[in-house]
Parts: sequence; C-alpha cells; structure tokens
Amino acid sequence: MKIFNLLLGVVLATVVTSCTLEKTDYEAELSEVATDEYVFEQAFLLTSNGYQISVEVLNGTFYKGYNEIHLFITDENNETVQNATVTFLPIRLDANEDAYSCPHAYEVGYQADNQYYLGYAVFDEVSNTNATWEFYLTVTIANETFTLQHGVTVASQPNLNLNMTSFTGNNGVQYYIALIAPVSPGVSENELIAGIYQYNEPQVPIGNFPDPTQFSFSEVQGATLLLDPRMPEPSMGNHSSPNNEDLTQGSDGLYYGVVNYTMTGNWTLNFIFQNEGGAVIKGTEVPTDFTPGITGEKSELHIDILF
Amino acid sequence: MKKLVITILFLLCVIPVIAQDTTKEKDSIEILEEVQISKHVKKKIETDLKMAVSVDEFLASSTAISFIKRGAYAWEPLLNNMGAERATITIDGMHVFGACTDKMDPITAYVESNNLAAVDVKSGQEGGLNGATVAGSIDLKRKASTFSMQEQWKGAYQTGFEFNNQQLFNLGNVSYANSKWVAEGSISYRKADDYSDGNNTEVAHSQYTKINSSLGFAYKTSPLASVRVDAIFDEAKNVGYPALPMDLWLSRALITSATYKQLFEKGLVKVWDTKVYFNTIEHYMDDTTRPENLVHMDMPGWSTTYGLLSKINIRKNNVASEIQLNAYNNLSIAEMRMYPQDRSERTMFAYSWPWVTTRYAGLSMNNSLDIAEYSELTFGGSLGINYNRSKYIDFNWIFNPGAPQEKTRLLPSLHAGYNVTVKQFNFAVGAGYGHRAPSVSEGYGYYIYNSFDRYDYVGNPNLKNEISYEGNAAASFSSKKLTVQAKVNYFYIQNYIIGRILSLGSPMNYQSVGVKGYTSLDYATLFNFSMNASYAITENLHWKGTLAYARGLDNDGGNLPFIRPLSYQTSLHYKYKAFGFQTAFSGDLEQQHYSPLYGEDLTPAYSILNFSADYSFRIKDFKTVLQVGAENVLNQYYSTYADWGNIPRMGRNIFTSLQIKF
Ligand SMILES: [Cu+2]
Repeated sequence: MKIFNLLLGVVLATVVTSCTLEKTDYEAELSEVATDEYVFEQAFLLTSNGYQISVEVLNGTFYKGYNEIHLFITDENNETVQNATVTFLPIRLDANEDAYSCPHAYEVGYQADNQYYLGYAVFDEVSNTNATWEFYLTVTIANETFTLQHGVTVASQPNLNLNMTSFTGNNGVQYYIALIAPVSPGVSENELIAGIYQYNEPQVPIGNFPDPTQFSFSEVQGATLLLDPRMPEPSMGNHSSPNNEDLTQGSDGLYYGVVNYTMTGNWTLNFIFQNEGGAVIKGTEVPTDFTPGITGEKSELHIDILF
Repeated sequence: MKKLVITILFLLCVIPVIAQDTTKEKDSIEILEEVQISKHVKKKIETDLKMAVSVDEFLASSTAISFIKRGAYAWEPLLNNMGAERATITIDGMHVFGACTDKMDPITAYVESNNLAAVDVKSGQEGGLNGATVAGSIDLKRKASTFSMQEQWKGAYQTGFEFNNQQLFNLGNVSYANSKWVAEGSISYRKADDYSDGNNTEVAHSQYTKINSSLGFAYKTSPLASVRVDAIFDEAKNVGYPALPMDLWLSRALITSATYKQLFEKGLVKVWDTKVYFNTIEHYMDDTTRPENLVHMDMPGWSTTYGLLSKINIRKNNVASEIQLNAYNNLSIAEMRMYPQDRSERTMFAYSWPWVTTRYAGLSMNNSLDIAEYSELTFGGSLGINYNRSKYIDFNWIFNPGAPQEKTRLLPSLHAGYNVTVKQFNFAVGAGYGHRAPSVSEGYGYYIYNSFDRYDYVGNPNLKNEISYEGNAAASFSSKKLTVQAKVNYFYIQNYIIGRILSLGSPMNYQSVGVKGYTSLDYATLFNFSMNASYAITENLHWKGTLAYARGLDNDGGNLPFIRPLSYQTSLHYKYKAFGFQTAFSGDLEQQHYSPLYGEDLTPAYSILNFSADYSFRIKDFKTVLQVGAENVLNQYYSTYADWGNIPRMGRNIFTSLQIKF
C-alpha cells in the first residue's frame, strides 16, 4: 500500500507542480514601473562662505516633470542651519542664450521636522543642445547673503505616471500641469495628485540677470480639472473607467482627485481645465462612444501615462 | 503525460503480483451495499439510443437537465433550468470548480463515460447533502469495482466513428479485483473536426481533442474497512468554441482523492465514509486561431480545490439517516492579457478573477422515516459557513468602492417530503428552503465577457444570499405495461442574482457593447413541469415519451433567460433476437417566452429524428455489440434556445460503434 501511495504521490507531484503557463506576478509588475525612485539622493553639493549646501532629489537625478527638492545647509561644525532665507530660481538657456524658467518654489522654506529646506521645480524640457539648465540660489544666513550658481542636467521622465504638459489657455496665460502621484498606480482606485501652475507676465522692467520678477510662476488657485481617463489603444475602443473624481485644490495648493485604472497598459488622462468661476480655459469633451479599432479620441488637454 | 501512462501500466502490472499472497476471507464490503436513503433514480451511463455516449449526451437524456451549448464540446448543464452557480455539481461528492470565466469547462467536461458508473441527480434542496444549492445536485459517480472472492479481471473496449465531425473515439477500461485488492484504470481519446450544420455548412471552430484517464486502487484493511485512492487526469487541446471569440488552447485537470470506508455490523452507525481530495485545473484560452480579431488576447485560468467529506449512515428501526460533513477550499485565478497592435508596447493586464478564495464548511443531514409500509417521510437540512476573500480587492473596488475584502455567510437549508403509495399509484409532495452564496464570478468577477448578450460582467462582493423557497409534487401510475409519471416544482427565489446594465464604466472587450453588474432582483420565480410515460406494446416493442415545460419570471413579470420552451421526445424500441432497433423523435416548440433584456431572441421550433440499430454477438468469451445509427436523420438546420449566438447544431450525423466486454 505504501509503495502505491508513494508512487501515486510522485506522479501527482510532478503533474501538480508543472503548471504549463506561468501566472502573472502582478505585484512585481506594478513595482517594476517605479524602479528605485523612492529614495532621495544627493544630486550635487555646493560649498560657499563656510557653508555646505547639499541638494537632494529622488534618485539623485532631475527629471522632466515635477521634482521635489531638499536642501540641507550645514555650517563648519556640521550643524544644520535652521534660520537661513533661501530663494531658488531654475533658468533654462536656449541655443540663442535666451533665458526661460519653469514652475518652481522661489522661496524655499525650512522644514523643522525633516531638517531640510523644501522646494520644487517642474522642468518642462529635457537637457539638450537647445536647453541648458542652471540653478540660481540666494542664501541669507545671519545678514550674510551669498549667491550660488550650478548647472544641472534634466533627464527625460522614465515614469510616465509623472508626466507633465504645458499649454496656453484661451485667456492667453501659459499653464503647466504636472502629475505628482500615483508614482506606481495599481489596477484600482488611485489618488491622483497634480500641480497646476501658471506663468505670471512680468509687470516691471527687466533688472539684473537673473531677475526673479521676469521668471515668476505661481500655483493656480481654486481651479477645477475635470477628469476622463481612457485607454486610447485601438483594441481598447477608448475604454473608460467608473467612479473617477475631478481634481480640486487641497490645502497644500496641489490638486487632488481619484482615477480608476481598470487594467494595466496605456492610459490617457483627458482634462477640461476650468477656472475658479467655472469657465473653460482649455480642454474638450471626449465622446463616450466605444470605438474599437480606432485610436481613441483625446481631449485637446491630456496627459498620456503608462503602467 | 507519457510519464503518467507509463505509471498506469506499471501499476496495473505490479498490483496483482504483490496482491497474490493475501488470504481469502469472507467479503463483507461486497455484501453490504451502501444504505441508500432517498429514492431518486441513478441513471446509468448509456442512453436508449446510443450506447457510446459522451457524458454530455447522457445528461441530455434526463428531463431535469438541459444544456447551454457553446460548441460541440463541454456543454454547461442546467438543472431545473438553472446554471452551475445555482446547482452543486460534484464527482463522488467532491467539489471541483472550473477554471474558465466563460464557463467553457463545466465539471462534466473532466470525466469520461468509461470512468463513470452513474449520475445522481437530485432536485432542489433534497440535493443539499454535498453543499448549499438552489437548483439541486448532480453527482457524477465514478466506477468503483468491488472486492471479489475470486480473482477477477474485467474490461471493456469501445471504439467508434461519427461521420459528421469525423469524430474518432477509443475508450478502454480494465479492472482487477481479488479479496484484498482492487485496481482499475481507464483511458480514452476523442478527436473531432469541425461539424457541419443542417445546410451542410461547416461550423468553424468546433473541433476538439480530449484525453482522459483514470486510476483507482482499493485495499481492504480489515474485513469491514477499506482504503481507496483515485485519480483522474483529463486533458483537452485545441477545443473550438464557435460561439465565443476565443478558443481553448489547453485545459488540464487532475482530480485526486483518498477514501476510507468503514462498515459496522452492529450498532446505530452502519457506514462511515471519509474522503480527502485535491484537484487542480489549468485552462488556457487564447485567440491565436482567430486572425479576424482586432486584439490578441490570452485568458488563462487556474482553479485549485482541496477538501474533506465525511459521511455516516445510521439506521434504527424505521429511521435511516445520512449525516455528512463537507469542507473545501478553492482558489480561483483568471487573467486577461491583451497585446497592443504594436507588440513592442507593454501588454495590458487585469485579473478577471482576482485570486478569489472560497472556503466552505457545512453539516448536512437527510433522514427518512417509514411511517407505514406504503408511506415515507423524508426530511433534512444543512447549515454551512461560506467564506470568500479577494486577494486583489482593488479590482473589485473599481465598481464597488469600499467593498469588504473578506465576507462570511451563513447558508441554512431545510427540506421535507412525503411519499405515499396507494395501489398502483404513487404520490409525493415536498417543500424546501435554502440559501446559496454568490459564485466567484457573481461576487468577484471583473470584466468577464459574455458573448451571449455581448456584455462585460462585473461582480459585486456585497450581493445578498440568494434564498430559495421551493415546492414540488409528483404523481405516478405504474402497471405491468404502462407507467406514467408527472412532476412539478416551483421555486420562489429571493434576491435572485442576475446581470443588469450599469450606467457606469465602458466595455473592455472589444466585441462588448456595455457593462453589466451582477445585482439582486427582489425575487424571481421558476416553474418546471415534466411528464414521462412508457408503454410495452408487445414484449419486444416498447414506447417511451416525455414532455417538459418550464417558465421563469423576474419580479417585473419579465422572462428569465435560458428557460427551455415546451419540449418533447417520443421513442420506440424494438428487439428482435440479437438485434435492437431504436428510433426517437424529439424537439422544442417555439421559444415564445424569450428574454430580449438578456440577449435572447425568438428561437423557432425544431424537431429531430434519430435512428439506430445494434447487433449483439460473442467473439469467443467477449460480449460484443455493434451499433450503427444516425442523428438528425432529416438533416434539419436548427439551433436551440440555449445555443450561444444561435450557432446551428449538428446536421445529419451517422455514427458507428463497437463495444467489446470481458
Ligand atoms: Cu475558457
């Protein structure tokens, strides 16, 4: 009897364990999207007037799109400087040496909990022969002010979930929308966070370069971003998902909504951008027709993502 | 596969050698047959017309069972006009769950007629012994040879050819028994091409290939106890589903069990029967054979179940009881993988079953009380706990935000019946009450494409238990020459689960027209009526007839889908010496009560004429039967109410078969 059980067991074991087609490792597939971008690393270190300024971003690299920036300022004794006043200005020079900027936090405030100065920049172009990026920092510590300049490289965004777009609204204003979260979305309900910024036309004549009044950006206040996610792949017929929520501004100035992704793959976030009064500044409605075989129609204001 | 076959052969050779030296003793197990409680009919695997039937064809010959057909292979049985989610379909009481979200693989697809002994069909709550049900239970009884005082070899070989779809089949089974050991095995192979309909047009994607083998060993551990291990291996390849947008590339099932059976000569308990089981199914659908499809898509599915059942039979004076404990755990996984037209792009992925676990444990009981010599009261019930968990509940949250990841349900059931015989008449009445939990698809399915109504279906974890209230009655008359039986039943089903169009979301499968979510209707009702009669015109000429009617309504008075219209069958059987002749005429009337809401259209009436003749003779010691016949002799073009996509059924089919037994 034992022999048979044993034999049968062997047979069963070989048949059972040999699954013909491997199951998808869903969790691994999701985490594959956001490689190791979770860690803040030093991008560069500046030394001036006896102070050290360490600039950290995710992965130690600046990417096109939204970048949260941490500045660690320490003195000679390696003690954290807590009461500095820091301003930050990213400048892009094109081949003709014309200067531009991008949405950024000009005043970089100290975060006592984390012991760093917190800022951000939304780079709208990748570094290339026609785009050279430089950081200009002004630091004031105990009435002593010094200016620092450092060239940086902006890499293309490897994670399309952090994609961005810029456009001119029908009011003539230049706007920027940058995705901040989800970094690694799931086939689920995802909290969608975006920053919405505008360029403020200079009101005063040009001063000495770099003149921050010429490169003024601000967060758009009180707007609404109507959301309609679709799968534009022809085979998906411009498939959409249920229970999405439009983006509205949170207390931190960023915009919060909900996006449901029904499967992994290419998605388009179609937007209609409305100002505080509800007037449409940019964006068109996407027909709800299911259109298999045709590349899905998109709003004139949209961001493509992939996960 | 090769390994398995070799092992079977090896084991079949080895057993007799090892078993030879066992002493012969009085065989109690052979004598004591299992105590049967209910008086339902167990049908043998053979129809009147055709001796070499497939499991599907066999089930189709029962009036309580009808079929949803998506092709030539693996029909989905409907019991009392209800599908698999409302019935419990088991193999020797073991739960096996299909791995196909499109229901391509009802459990009946994983057995073969040469490893089955009988099919035990019970209607309604009376069928609750193996688990919670609404419609009833279908238990496929495997062949199990008994121990034998003398060494005994038995076997059968069957081969045949069906001309319409070039189906060739070879079925073989062999068993060895002595007083200590039983060893048996079966193997079968069927291969069919596309079939042709009544207009002699080939129905594309209707081919299939199926291999099935089974193994069983029993050992008598004491005069009153035995141990048995069983395994079934089934593999289907290249199975076309003309009514679906994709085909089955490969499906494999391994169904195993170990049983311990103890008989008692004295005392209350007569039999104790315990079984542990394990089965696993892999099912891979793809559409590589459908170049016309826009998207290339794979839909693999896996279902693994293990369980326990333990049953005791008690008899004292005029009371007999069956008490059974059932417990099982199932994990169902199904994936959708879609490939964009630009293959270098990332594939699109979603779970259609997001790793759904179902756990059930329940205790059920059937009792019968002989009140007098001619009357009997049966009653029983069960109480079960059903637990579900969706591992990737995120998928379910898209349509059901905040739904619980785990859900536990209590499933009670009660039934009672009274049966009285007055002279040549027999009357029976019964009633039942029972709950069932939503199926994996109903609770946790995600964009499961239904090509019948062309909607994508999503489940709802918050669905309430379906509650069935049922009444049934039967009357029969039998004399030497004539028997007539009429049966009715009526189900009032509260929280009836069905798909309703959602205003949310949009389809995912490109053939789809919208999204339906499983929801509960307040109630639905189902009425079934059937009548059988048989008459012996002469000693050698017999007539049989059946008539069945059903009606299903939702709470708005609308028709439920998949309800069979009035159907009939009449057959004659004539025996002359070693020859037998059968002819049968059957059909459905027009399906007037169809449900457009669920994608049905009016199916016209049809009738089919079948004919067969057989000749029995002996080659040496071998009992041999040769049969030839034809189905759909008039080559009618037809499809039935339950044919998906109105795919036409097979046209004229001439079949031949040869059976040799020893
Ligand atoms: Cu399938």
